[in-house]
Amino acid sequence: MIIFLKVMGYVLRFFHLGSGATWPGEVFLEFYHRPLVYFIPKFKEGIIFVAGTNGKTTTTSMIVSLLEKSEGGKIVTNDTGANLLNGVISACINAYSWSGNTDFDWGVFEVDENSLPSVLMNVQCSMPNEKKIVLILLNLFRDQLDRYGEVDAIARKWEKALRMLPSHAQLILNADDPQIAYFGKSVKLKTHYFGINQKENYLKIKDHAIDSAYCPNCWNSLTYEGIYFSHLGIWRCDKCGFKRPPVANINIKSHLPGLYSLYNLYAAYLAGAAAGISKEDTEKTLSDFKPAFGRQEEVEIDRKKVKIFLSKNPAGFNASIRAVLDLKPKAILLVLNDRIPDGRDVSWIYDVDFEIVPPIVSVICSGDRVYDMVVRMKYAIKHWNNETMKQLMVEEKLSDALKRGLSMLNKRETLYVLPTYSAMLETRKILTGKKIL
Amino acid sequence: MNFKLTIGWLYPSLMSTYGDRGNVIVIEKRCQWREIETHLTRIEIDTTNRELESCDLILGGGAQDRQQEMAVSDLLKRKNVLKEMFDRGIPGLFVCGSPQLLGHYYVTGEGKKLPGLGIFDYVTQHFGNDKPRCIGNTIGKIDSKFEIRNSKFKNTIVGFENHGGRTYLGKDCVPFAQVIKGYGNNGEDKTEGAVYKNVIACYYHGPFLSKNPHVADWLIKTALELKYKKEIELDPLDDELEWKAHEEILNRMNMK
Repeated sequence: MIIFLKVMGYVLRFFHLGSGATWPGEVFLEFYHRPLVYFIPKFKEGIIFVAGTNGKTTTTSMIVSLLEKSEGGKIVTNDTGANLLNGVISACINAYSWSGNTDFDWGVFEVDENSLPSVLMNVQCSMPNEKKIVLILLNLFRDQLDRYGEVDAIARKWEKALRMLPSHAQLILNADDPQIAYFGKSVKLKTHYFGINQKENYLKIKDHAIDSAYCPNCWNSLTYEGIYFSHLGIWRCDKCGFKRPPVANINIKSHLPGLYSLYNLYAAYLAGAAAGISKEDTEKTLSDFKPAFGRQEEVEIDRKKVKIFLSKNPAGFNASIRAVLDLKPKAILLVLNDRIPDGRDVSWIYDVDFEIVPPIVSVICSGDRVYDMVVRMKYAIKHWNNETMKQLMVEEKLSDALKRGLSMLNKRETLYVLPTYSAMLETRKILTGKKIL
Repeated sequence: MNFKLTIGWLYPSLMSTYGDRGNVIVIEKRCQWREIETHLTRIEIDTTNRELESCDLILGGGAQDRQQEMAVSDLLKRKNVLKEMFDRGIPGLFVCGSPQLLGHYYVTGEGKKLPGLGIFDYVTQHFGNDKPRCIGNTIGKIDSKFEIRNSKFKNTIVGFENHGGRTYLGKDCVPFAQVIKGYGNNGEDKTEGAVYKNVIACYYHGPFLSKNPHVADWLIKTALELKYKKEIELDPLDDELEWKAHEEILNRMNMK
């Protein structure tokens, strides 16, 4: 059966008939009620899951490179970003050798917020004690309300699912996110916390898009000693005494821009430790890490550079803007699409603090919802008049927008592109196909 | 004469779930561009009624379930103050989930019946969390009550709706719009939202005013006229981009 599905995946991909990354898994789901149970015994060492609104793909690929470099074994991962249950299953099917042999050491999977409960349900009763199971929870931000629902609702579902994990499972939690840190209190499992200790990087002005300013334990409002971004920071509840737990001491040098990259690095570091990788190996691999596609990816064209910062929700967008502004940009390109993977509702752009973009930066808007984007920018500019409006440009077609952006640069300068998910794929396609130039 | 407006934003820390602050930004900017001074008052649980009463315009957005309960319990204590303000003609805009607080009651997805302020004559019922939500781009038709001088008027409103509850209007309750595309109050009777005096309640999501500048200007003008007790003409603005965003939705839904 597995071989049949594996062939099916190839055929689908070969003839471009739908997604080879999810269909084999979809068919398998028809036959097995708890499909992952079938594969779990095949992993010799264990399974690592990564969930959270932002940073899943990057963290997952960090962990995969750690395990590959240090352990050298065979790792199964859903690196195509197919992160629903069918994507996880499809990754397992595709990893089978043609003779049907399985020789897997680790499974490392990123899991969609809504799918986490159904994925964990599979693990519940099928994970023998000698195999490791590690669950990394990065953060919870508001994201695609039309698809995911409210942050609180997801947190409640996760808590229920976590309670069903076997007692030898380990949690790696972001201590700076109150909602995530709370799982360490409410679920009795071995827990490791990561977080940032850098007073000098506290935000001076709070982001608007705050999701968990209330104590997850008693619902009093939280007090923050400092905030890194959105609701992540050093927090405490003055009513019930619940506070940000102490975090692991981690020192990694990394060239990845943006404070938020540290969260992904720290989470991967702790996953490496949980998998038994030595501290030296972990530090070396992670400090050399190159980002996953579309995440701070750089493409060179005609001795000018284009750098892509995937920006798919308010917290991610705010983090990207700050990282980009630190790099002193001349021009930025905002690409807003509203296809299924982006979310159909574009209301969230009003939760992004575009007001911090200074008037000297040229802003080009594009995407399916280019006019929603440019209106948002118009209302973010401090003094709107004929002079300041020159800062803003509208290009309905993405290829024209990229061309225009590049035309404004001198050699060796960089155009920063902040796209939503489907817009990121489109941008890469244009740039790597070099169709426009 | 220098005009000044005080905008009251209801519970920004509890009820600003998905871009709702867009409406505040749009009102502030459209005033600023016309040199109308604005002051923003954030109405939170510890805000006094005196501060609430000093507002010339009230804006409300959506909340998550838990936060909504916290907001309602505070709002119920202020019921008479708000009702008196609205009866005086203070304009307001309630989007997303907040209209549910203003009717007689709201039955949640778990079957819990929460009392509302009873200012609007309607009731809202959520038929269970397993029932499909009303989600998608939406278009409505409004009447010329909202047409004012110096501001381009179109009898359409556009936006995005996303609600689990269904609202049913009482027999004398006036709908805000007639549904052209989308679900509206309940997916059955083609009504969208409701109007009480100068207060608009509607299911449109988040930054409703960003693509509907005519409604934004109507709110500003109404608030100014009530405050300064005279007829006021707003300065015209260049709204080309806003109307392009508006028309984009009409085009997509084959309305043009």
